Amino acid sequence: MAGKALEKIMELRADPYAWARSWKEKTGGKVIGFFCCYAPEEMIHAAGALPVRIIGENRDISKSAAHLQSYCCSLARTGLDMALDGTLSFLDGTVFVHTCDTMQRLSDIWRLNTGFVFHADLILPVRFETAPAWDYMVSELAAFKSKAEEFLGPIDDAALAGSIKLYNRNRELLSELYALRRANPAVLPYDQALWLAASSSFMDKSEHNELLEEVIADLKGVDVPPDTRVGLFGIGSVMDQWDFLRMVEESGATFVDDDFCDGHRYFEEMVPEDVPPIEGIARRLWDRPSCPCKHQPGKSRASCIVEKATASGAKGAIFFQFKFCEPHAFDYPHVKKALEEAGIPSLNLEIEQGAVSIEQLRTRVGALVETIKA
Amino acid sequence: MKQLITNYYIEAKTTEEKPICWITSGGPVEFLIAMGVIPVYPENHGAMCGASKIAVGLAEVAEGMGFSQDLCSYARLDIGGATTGGGAIPGGLPKPDFLLCCNNICGTVVKWYEELSRIWDVPMFLFDTPFIHASKPEHATEYVKQQCLELIGFLEQQTGKKWSDDRFAEVAMLSVEGVDLWKEVLKTAENRPSPFTCFDAFIHMAPIVTLRGTQEVVDYYKLLRDEMQDRVAKGIGAVPNEKYRLIWDNIPIWFEMRNLGNLFASNNACLVADTYTTAWAVDIRIEDPLTSMADAYTKVYLNISIDLMLEQLTALMRRYQADGLVMHSNRSCKPYSLGQYDLARAITERTGKPALIIEADMTDSRAFSEAQTRERVEAFIESLD
Repeated sequence: MAGKALEKIMELRADPYAWARSWKEKTGGKVIGFFCCYAPEEMIHAAGALPVRIIGENRDISKSAAHLQSYCCSLARTGLDMALDGTLSFLDGTVFVHTCDTMQRLSDIWRLNTGFVFHADLILPVRFETAPAWDYMVSELAAFKSKAEEFLGPIDDAALAGSIKLYNRNRELLSELYALRRANPAVLPYDQALWLAASSSFMDKSEHNELLEEVIADLKGVDVPPDTRVGLFGIGSVMDQWDFLRMVEESGATFVDDDFCDGHRYFEEMVPEDVPPIEGIARRLWDRPSCPCKHQPGKSRASCIVEKATASGAKGAIFFQFKFCEPHAFDYPHVKKALEEAGIPSLNLEIEQGAVSIEQLRTRVGALVETIKA
Repeated sequence: MKQLITNYYIEAKTTEEKPICWITSGGPVEFLIAMGVIPVYPENHGAMCGASKIAVGLAEVAEGMGFSQDLCSYARLDIGGATTGGGAIPGGLPKPDFLLCCNNICGTVVKWYEELSRIWDVPMFLFDTPFIHASKPEHATEYVKQQCLELIGFLEQQTGKKWSDDRFAEVAMLSVEGVDLWKEVLKTAENRPSPFTCFDAFIHMAPIVTLRGTQEVVDYYKLLRDEMQDRVAKGIGAVPNEKYRLIWDNIPIWFEMRNLGNLFASNNACLVADTYTTAWAVDIRIEDPLTSMADAYTKVYLNISIDLMLEQLTALMRRYQADGLVMHSNRSCKPYSLGQYDLARAITERTGKPALIIEADMTDSRAFSEAQTRERVEAFIESLD
């Protein structure tokens, strides 16, 4: 079932930064790292640079222990570790979007210790309500654009509009992929579907779009009987535990949709193209379902998740709680309750990159699946 | 002071007409005082619960509800207390009519107060103060100023009262007076020997944190300042044989204050100043209180980068002629604790003075090892010779 395009994307998963390193060598272009999907990648792209995501990795902590206490998330600790040991040496700089307390402090620690030439902080409002917050957001995005221009070169409106169009196409294709898979999850293992979305942040969007178009065409030609496994909805921040996702599919279930920030949340909502580019980018960030780091009283995260989970046909949900991730941990009790009230039982799994025990988790997933089947 | 705080809580628990607002420790309380609202501080209550050693039990209630044990212990014990009516105040804290949350101290309060908003079914106002890594841009200043105006509108709506610029100016004046007196109190510790230790300061800081902007607070700190200045004149030191002067960093280990106080004193060490009590010694210009407050509340110690913290910490060490730095690596407080490892190294580089890091928690005693801490403190003080 795997066509050439899918194969190419899957190869990247074993060494996600291979594409970026090769691009840099070939073109001499600049690579800018970012942690959070609120980062305005289109601006970086419009300057001719390559934005790549930092999502940590499964590894034992070494150098970052001298800078970060153990009571913060593995995304921060492994990410810093990768920067300090040269794994991210191909980066020319990083943009830190203000999200949580850990990222806020990591930005300073990173800037003081990693030696990358370019460092930008983008302090978006926490309040996604009121006109002053909107004005502030637009101004802050404009300020970031100016700062990026100092290092990357000019970002004119036409280039920015072009990048937005390209990114919107990527979002459209990923939406199509997810919808295709929801119709019959059996056409593609979920870990591959999620990587198709996540891989978008590790390579140029033009090439990714081309590959996605091929993958979608291939998948449309796949003829398999309808999936009878229990449908699950995944909730969390970054999800990169591929072995775990495969284990779930061995347990009589499969994910049909998610709220991961490297999954569905990454490509949710389009940037409106009929308004000035900065405003358009702001509009998308403002309108899309928020993450736990934002205060958006008019659009409850719990109701967004219930809506999405219900629409996907999921019969159960799994929370992937990064240990020490406060925003997600605070949301868990009331989101779990909302899901329960909507008839969707859930499971809460606490994980740390580099310390995931598949066998322990297998038992718990099995129990959830049995509950649902009963 | 016990009387002052007791009266304050009694009024909060028994008032029939005055609205109650729960507010974060870095919140702009002057707005509440000016509108006749009684401010209640779950963090202050959290400190009291920690000190009376009832924090863990309350936190366990929240943990049973699904809140991770890795979350801020103030939030856990408060959510537990709100659910059971438990806490250091008989019957629990008085129910809020609305909430005022300012994220200048951390992002955790936003999540905590969102949960409180659900528990109490009351509106929450988020006063969003953008973090300062290098400098504060004009659009951030404008954003915070606009929120001051929004806050006024919110309070008028919630209380049914009209805002008075004159009354606010009065409160601002009292706030400045109170803060200036608090600064004078803290300044007396620059003397050798210091008339008080930071453990005393942690107790006596309650009024400036919770009732800033009232006459009672001004009266209280006048007395305290006079008393401290008197001790200085008589050469009375808090630590009988003050040999080593140290700075404390981070929120206190509330449940261990007495033991730690004794531990340092018995080793002839006096914690003469700290970054926590000085955080409320802000600068406000009385001619333009609204703008000035918006500025002051954005620039608090926890809302600035490690580089900017380093400047302040270095100055503090020099001003108090410190021989060393004691940093509480507080599991519950990431903005205060992450970066300490780098700060410790930088301080030693700049001042030549060593730093000790104690891993603990402000109220959760499960994260504290008495034996280990004792050992490390004693070894540290010995190394100062």
